[in-house]
Amino acid sequence: MLSTRRLRVVAGLAVAALAALAAAAAGTSATDQSQTLVIWADADRVPAVTQVANGWAANKGVTVRVVQKEMGPIRQEIATVAAENAPDVIVGAHDWVGELSSNGSVVPLTPAAATRAQFPRYALDAFSYGTAIKKLYGAPVALENVALVTNTKLAKAPKTFADMEKQALAAKKKTKAQVGISVQQGQGDAYHMYPFFSGLGGYVFGTNRAGNLDPSDIGVANPRFLRNAPLIDKWNKEGLIRSQVNDSIAKDLFLKGKTAYWITGPWFLADIRKAGLKYQVSAFPQIVPGTKSVPFLGVQGFMVTKFAAAHGVQAQAKDLVSNYMMQPSAQLRLASANDRTPANTRAAALVKDKDLKAFASASVGGVPMPNIPAMASVWQDLGAAWVRSTKGSGSTPARRSFVAAQRSIAQKIG
Amino acid sequence: MTSAPFASPPTVPPASWLARALGFFSGTVGLVIKFTLLAVVNALAIWAFSILLNDGKWIAALVVAGVTVLIDVAYLVPSKRLVPVKFLIPGTIFLVAFVVVPIVSNANIAFTNWSTGHNLSKDEAITAIEEVSLAPSAEASTYTATPARKDGEIVLLLRDEATGELYAGSEDGLEPLPAETTTVENGTIVAAEGYEVLQGDELLAADTEITELVIPTGGDVFIRAEGLSLAVELQPTLRYDPETDTFTNIETGAVFTDNGEGSFVAETGEALEPGWRTHIGFANFETILTDPLVRDPFFRVFLWTFAYAFLSVLIQFAIGLFLAITLNKPDLKLQRIQRAFLVLPFAIPAFLAVLVWQGLLNDEFGVVNQLLRTDIPWLFDPTWAKVSCVLVNVWIGFPYWFLVCTGALQAVPEELTEAARVDGAGGLQVFRKVTFPLLLVATAPLLIASFAFNFNLFNNIYFLTGGGPYEVEQTVAGSTDILISYTYKIAFQAGGGAQYGLAAAVSIFIFFIVAGISAISFWRTKALEEIK
Repeated sequence: MLSTRRLRVVAGLAVAALAALAAAAAGTSATDQSQTLVIWADADRVPAVTQVANGWAANKGVTVRVVQKEMGPIRQEIATVAAENAPDVIVGAHDWVGELSSNGSVVPLTPAAATRAQFPRYALDAFSYGTAIKKLYGAPVALENVALVTNTKLAKAPKTFADMEKQALAAKKKTKAQVGISVQQGQGDAYHMYPFFSGLGGYVFGTNRAGNLDPSDIGVANPRFLRNAPLIDKWNKEGLIRSQVNDSIAKDLFLKGKTAYWITGPWFLADIRKAGLKYQVSAFPQIVPGTKSVPFLGVQGFMVTKFAAAHGVQAQAKDLVSNYMMQPSAQLRLASANDRTPANTRAAALVKDKDLKAFASASVGGVPMPNIPAMASVWQDLGAAWVRSTKGSGSTPARRSFVAAQRSIAQKIG
Repeated sequence: MTSAPFASPPTVPPASWLARALGFFSGTVGLVIKFTLLAVVNALAIWAFSILLNDGKWIAALVVAGVTVLIDVAYLVPSKRLVPVKFLIPGTIFLVAFVVVPIVSNANIAFTNWSTGHNLSKDEAITAIEEVSLAPSAEASTYTATPARKDGEIVLLLRDEATGELYAGSEDGLEPLPAETTTVENGTIVAAEGYEVLQGDELLAADTEITELVIPTGGDVFIRAEGLSLAVELQPTLRYDPETDTFTNIETGAVFTDNGEGSFVAETGEALEPGWRTHIGFANFETILTDPLVRDPFFRVFLWTFAYAFLSVLIQFAIGLFLAITLNKPDLKLQRIQRAFLVLPFAIPAFLAVLVWQGLLNDEFGVVNQLLRTDIPWLFDPTWAKVSCVLVNVWIGFPYWFLVCTGALQAVPEELTEAARVDGAGGLQVFRKVTFPLLLVATAPLLIASFAFNFNLFNNIYFLTGGGPYEVEQTVAGSTDILISYTYKIAFQAGGGAQYGLAAAVSIFIFFIVAGISAISFWRTKALEEIK
């Protein structure tokens, strides 16, 4: 057995050794960082992003490290993350751009004119933000929007709204379902009800003369929409729609053949196909004359963060994002890995899938989700207004409900 | 260290496992473990110290060094006087790290304007404003660019996309390149005589040089690289003057001055984006007291929060106590199994249980209405939604009280209840006059703690109703929003983007409310102690 004193000496040596080891580790880990380009992406996109980004990185001397995070945290943590753990590039949605650029978290991009010309105007606009000078903050990669999916065994893809209403109610009676059309709501979901809202003449923000979204022009209760709003009360009364239908119920009802129509996006294409239904994807029919019923448009893409410059990889990151990722071949691989339409029109022309094409044609005339920070004040109230008016018995008349939403939104934006 | 101090005399039965364990760890083994742990602590401290020093965080580095020295002294210097310190140190460190530091930093945030649009330091914001103010020049020229070096200096080999003219751009400006000695492929220069084109690793190493290279082309106008293969001609629209700390619009002459609240603002009220984080005194607290958006729902939400927490705890306790008494009969069959089943809700992650309940309570599609053959709008009517919130919370929380009460009941001395019976008290009377008061002595502090816990139980509300349903007159806070979920909504949904500063200020209010209620309750329960 060792004596206490000798043990003390041994222990002291151990302390010193461990300390030296730790210091050495700290020294080396700091130098590794600059050779790596870090990308944050969500689980659905990690495999394709890893593959495509590594294709770019080959013989560039850069290693790409793709970190998996959920969408919400990517958006929030980019404002608070410490520089040494921060990403150089993030994958996100276009409607984050207002918040991220007014936080100074992302830097403007300037792709070559020839590259820009390969993208639909709205996709670039969706990623652009600026009060004085509009700048592009992201490279659009994939487009997504909801469309009308019809169970062709129960009904036909409708030509008019009256036709859809009739068929939906007939199917509801036949299958003894509680609702005619699967529209996911729950606690409120302005995104999925937007085709109805826009079809009745509603809009969220108008645009000012400079072409920017104007948060003081709120169209949630504009006169035109209010004139048509009683239709919502009618749909509620006849059970065409129900806010009790949440995401899983909406999906369940349609996939089990209970509802004839489902308003959803390409993210559920794989599930629809697996369910073995006969289906057709189409655009929404017009609800009232003179107003087109359109979905919200979502654009996903890559953004370069402010941290890339400090990490000494900004030029590399910009090359990856505004050059490589915007080319047709990268776009096709990234978008098709997740059942989406590529933003690049040359790549989109190569898409053969008839369902994706149908989703794309349903997007015509659609409105990109507003990307200004004031939109954070809108989602809750707009969704809540719809829920109040479509919860079956005890519902608030739509006019009253949406006027209240408009007031609340205006008060929050200030 | 040759004999363990806990060695038992042969006549006594084998020492308990605890005593044996203590004996085992008091010897050489214990000493080795102690030194290993100390070594790890020291290693981590040195590591943290070097990182903090690297980042220039002097105060934090000194604190780490000081605490580490204190730990080493306390555990290595054999002195009787240091024995209490040995026991105090771990607790104190955890208290400071997990309670004091978050509270101080939260209080600090409450006095700042930290929010969307005010996230950077002022220097970063000035750089970002300059960047955002760059507009394409009048000609809006764009170039394909090839980074190269000449005499070690970084140069961009440029080809005008519109005219096809060739240049070498350096910090001295543009210099035409002779077409004869320059090779162009696919619209990009790939080689030029006298220039060494950068490839692969060289590009990566020169990244910062490429990014920071500014090629002046006359006046304010300059060419800058965009990535590795493109360059654009840009022109600033705002100019920063460090002398006066103002931005001036070059075209209109409008002057933007620091408004003291983290923004450069013109006389017209127009503010430049982005702003920066700065201390703004009591402005957030003022907003809480004066802004109708925050102030108006506050009292309604406060009342509901109080009712929600109070009813939840009261009913949980009542049910838990009732079940504990019922199952406390020693001759009950399958007592253990029954108890195990009752504790099940406690074993399921609370937020999962809430999500399941949300499905069950759906009034059109949920099981509850189908089983009861009712048509109750559990989650879609303001009043019923409140009932549902309490109901679900009771379901999640009663097993806790069942366990606590079972324990407390067994601690009530049987002599007392028997004595009461002998004195002629009936069952109910025994419970009311003897068992229950004794039980309350043990559980009252827990009841108060549970109240404070339920007061801030964000998950249950957020996952069950999301604070809804919203009635037409409600803004920000819905019918079932409690103070903490309402704070979340103020922070992330009202006013565009996130408002961390305001949210921190509201949470300080909540802290004082909960602390106040708890203090009063503890003071009142002192009366119960006298029963002892």
